[in-house]
Amino acid sequence: MHPSKSIIFFTVFSGTGYGILLCLSFLAFLTNINFDSNFKLNLIILSFVFISSGLLSSTLHLGHPERAWRSFSQWKSSWLSREGLAAVITFLPLMIFYLLWYLDNFFYIYFLHLTSILCLITIYCTGQMYATLKTIPAWNNKLVTPIYTINAICMGALTVYCFTRFYEFEINYLYHLTIVSLSLCLFMKLVYWYIISKKIISTANSATGLGGSNNISLFEGPHTGKNFLTTEMINKIKKEKANFLRLCFSVLTCILPIYMIIQEPSLIIDSFILKLTFFLVLIFALIGMLVERYLFFIQAKHTVSLYYGENKV
Amino acid sequence: MTTLPTKQNKKLGLVIDLDICVGCHACAVNCKEWNTSGHSSPLHDIDPYGDDPTGVWFNRIHTFEVESEINGSKTVHFPKSCLHCSDAPCVTVCPTGASYKREEDGIVLVNPDTCIGCKLCSWSCPYGAREYDEEAGIMKKCTLCVDKIYNENIPEADRVPACVSTCPAGARSFGDLGDENSEIFKLVEERNGYDLMPEQDCAPTNKYLPPREKNNQFSSNKLQSITEDKEITFDSWKEIIENASK
Repeated sequence: MHPSKSIIFFTVFSGTGYGILLCLSFLAFLTNINFDSNFKLNLIILSFVFISSGLLSSTLHLGHPERAWRSFSQWKSSWLSREGLAAVITFLPLMIFYLLWYLDNFFYIYFLHLTSILCLITIYCTGQMYATLKTIPAWNNKLVTPIYTINAICMGALTVYCFTRFYEFEINYLYHLTIVSLSLCLFMKLVYWYIISKKIISTANSATGLGGSNNISLFEGPHTGKNFLTTEMINKIKKEKANFLRLCFSVLTCILPIYMIIQEPSLIIDSFILKLTFFLVLIFALIGMLVERYLFFIQAKHTVSLYYGENKV
Repeated sequence: MTTLPTKQNKKLGLVIDLDICVGCHACAVNCKEWNTSGHSSPLHDIDPYGDDPTGVWFNRIHTFEVESEINGSKTVHFPKSCLHCSDAPCVTVCPTGASYKREEDGIVLVNPDTCIGCKLCSWSCPYGAREYDEEAGIMKKCTLCVDKIYNENIPEADRVPACVSTCPAGARSFGDLGDENSEIFKLVEERNGYDLMPEQDCAPTNKYLPPREKNNQFSSNKLQSITEDKEITFDSWKEIIENASK
């Protein structure tokens, strides 16, 4: 599948923004999250910028962005419609939470949990939109939606963790949440990569029905040039390059942050270097996540490629 | 609405005979010709006279080589357009309701005024029936020539899809596949017409008729005698061929 930049940006940044709220909601059960107001304000701005820039960017790949409001109508049947609706509804409790949290009003906690439930629903809808596409075996997979969720949680936790390094204070349980979610993310991706390497849904035989035990190969395509189908749905990446990018993701998003978080006490560095280090950890993790989303698209084969020379999908 | 109709009064569709199709691409050309001035007009082309032309087509002809141990290898021309599925995933994924299936005849259409061009319907179609029009920013697809089959301004005999009326070999038939008494339904029964990718559970309306079994007597044993005969003149070769094909 064609890796559309706007969709990759959307899932990574909105996901991270939602993840920050999920992380806060989780921490709120265990500890007091009424932090220093400067810290809160920065977290509010960052999560808001991440969520809204991601959502805005997702409309950029549309042929008619000005008609995007129409997509709220078909929630009965369409996961994309549900996703759009959930994303917009989330903003209401989100804004109230921001305000109450900043003003130290105790009621913020209810709005935080309500927001995080809606965040989870939005992420679930996004995941289901891909997971219900039977035409793309790499996506038609029970792990796709959980991976969207864990991606959001681990990136949110890592962002808040890096923020605590900039402000030099500790939040109880955040250390554990970050390490566990990053490890889980890597583990789930490894399982996912194994599953997609095995799964086959359709073959050139079933696509043409010329089947049985016959050997079917494309003798001549319908035209010599490209078309919408080949550019949108038939994209290839060399196996070596894909493996290299998988390694990049694993190191940048999961292994490096976990290593830095665990090794931090033993690194004798001054405060500025520490801040810089964790700033870079966060940037690298985001880059790694963009790489992972790129792979999610470029490695996914669509059944239409069976009509353009592929033998099995 | 993007929910599928609960009942279908008719199932209009095409039957494509892979035994007859000669791969001339006339159906694709006439499809483009009709539709670029019809319901979905215009079907944009990008860089049409340049080095790398692309454009919207509703019908494309692929050619496959089928090798089997018994019959040897044969070439099969394979036209492919929208199959107007009964269980069309492209309709239910649409977030705006622009994509819909008509209750009266089962034709799947796109409303060009409400399509936002998200392309999700094209992802959900296993057959690659939908093509995005870059210039118009909306999705387009085969309309089964809805503006031709009901058109009272043209002679009744012409009220069939453009691909059907143009096929010089008669490889394409059009009719109501939901009516057990229709000729097209009987044709499918008689020739063991089949669905493409049944495992995708789309219940396509269009059916394909398989190429007939090859008459194998000619090819294997009788031709052997030609190679054994060391001096072959044109006349003796012609004689052998004529005998063999009797």
